[in-house]
Amino acid sequence: MSVLCLLSTQLHAQEVPQEPVVQAPPKNLIDLNEGVSFEIAPHTGLMGSSGTFGLKLSMNYSAFTLELAGEQVIGRTANLYPISVNALLNLSTRGQLIPYGTVGGGLLLTVPTNTIGDQTVSTLGVNFGGGARYYITKTFGFRVEGKQYVTSVSNDRESKNELLFFQEISVGVTFMLH
Amino acid sequence: MTHRYLLYITIVVSMAFTAQESARAQLRYENSLSLSAGAYAASGFGTNHFVGVRYNYFFLGGRYFVEGSLGFGSLRSRVLENVAKSQVFSSERLYAYEFVFAYDAFPSGFLPFFAFGVAGLNQGGESTFAGVLGLGKRIPLAGFLGTNQLGVRYDIRDQIFSQRINDSDPYIAHNLVFTFGLQFYF
Repeated sequence: MSVLCLLSTQLHAQEVPQEPVVQAPPKNLIDLNEGVSFEIAPHTGLMGSSGTFGLKLSMNYSAFTLELAGEQVIGRTANLYPISVNALLNLSTRGQLIPYGTVGGGLLLTVPTNTIGDQTVSTLGVNFGGGARYYITKTFGFRVEGKQYVTSVSNDRESKNELLFFQEISVGVTFMLH
Repeated sequence: MTHRYLLYITIVVSMAFTAQESARAQLRYENSLSLSAGAYAASGFGTNHFVGVRYNYFFLGGRYFVEGSLGFGSLRSRVLENVAKSQVFSSERLYAYEFVFAYDAFPSGFLPFFAFGVAGLNQGGESTFAGVLGLGKRIPLAGFLGTNQLGVRYDIRDQIFSQRINDSDPYIAHNLVFTFGLQFYF
C-alpha cells in the first residue's frame, strides 16, 4: 500500500510540465573569422546502394577549411575505404548556416570480405561536391553533404583503364573545438 | 523469494524518486559516457552476452541527443553446434557500431526516449549495414557517491537489415539488443 501511495504521488507530480529552458541562439552563433577552429564530424549515408560510416577531421580558417576524411562503405562482397584530404570553400563565415563546396583526393581501398584469395586493391581518386553545416550551439551542429568520387581502375582482361564514378550522400553531426 | 521482489520494488521506486530530483541538475551536462551490458538476440542464432560503450551529446535542454556506440558480442548458437554440427560464418565474433538520434520528451518523467539511426554489424567477418529503431530510459542517481554526474540507463534496440546466408535468398532480419548500463555525465 505504501508503495502504491508513493507511486501515485510520483505520477501526480509529473502532471506539472517541466519545460527545459531553451535559450535563443545569438545572431552570429559561429564566426569562422575569429581564428583557427577544429571540427570532428562523424557521419553516415549512402554511396550507390551501400551504407557508409565515416569521420572527418577539419581545420577552419575563415572561408577555407582543410579536412582529413576516412570512411567505410559496406558492400555485399567487399568494403570500400576512401581516405582523402579535402579543401572546403565556406560560402559563409558567420551565422548558423554555413554552406560550402569541396574538392579533394586520396586513396580508395577495396577490401574483400567473403571471398578467398582476393587481395586489397588500392586506387587513387578525386572527389568534389558540396554541403552545408547548421549549428545548434557554438560547439554542435548538423551536416549534410553530396559528393562525386572518380577513380581509375585497370581492367587486366582488356588491358585498359576504366573510369569509375560513385555518388555519395551523407548526413551527420559536427563538434566544433574553439 | 518475496523478500527479493520487495527489494526490486524498493529499488525501482527509489530510482524513480531520485530521477525527478536530479534530472533537472543533469540537464546542464552536455555529454555522457556509458558502459552497458546485456543480451544480444541475433536472428537465427540465439541469444548471447553483449557489452558496449556509448557516447551521448545532449542538446536543446536534454530533450534531444545523438549517440555513437560500439558493442561486442557473439554469434554462438548451441543449435548449430550440437544439432546441425555446422558453422555459418568463419568465426563467432560479433561487433556492432551504432549512430542514432534520439528524442526524449520527458527527461525527468517515466516515459522512455525514442531513437532511430543506423548501425554497422560485423558478423563473423562479414559487414552489414542496418537500420536501428529503439527506446530506452536514462535514470539519474541523485547524490549517489556524492555526485550528480552518475546515472543508470536501459536500452532496447532493433537492428534491421537484409540477411543472406550461404547464397540463400535475402530476407529481413531483426537483431534485438537489450542492455543495462551505468552512465557518467560531464
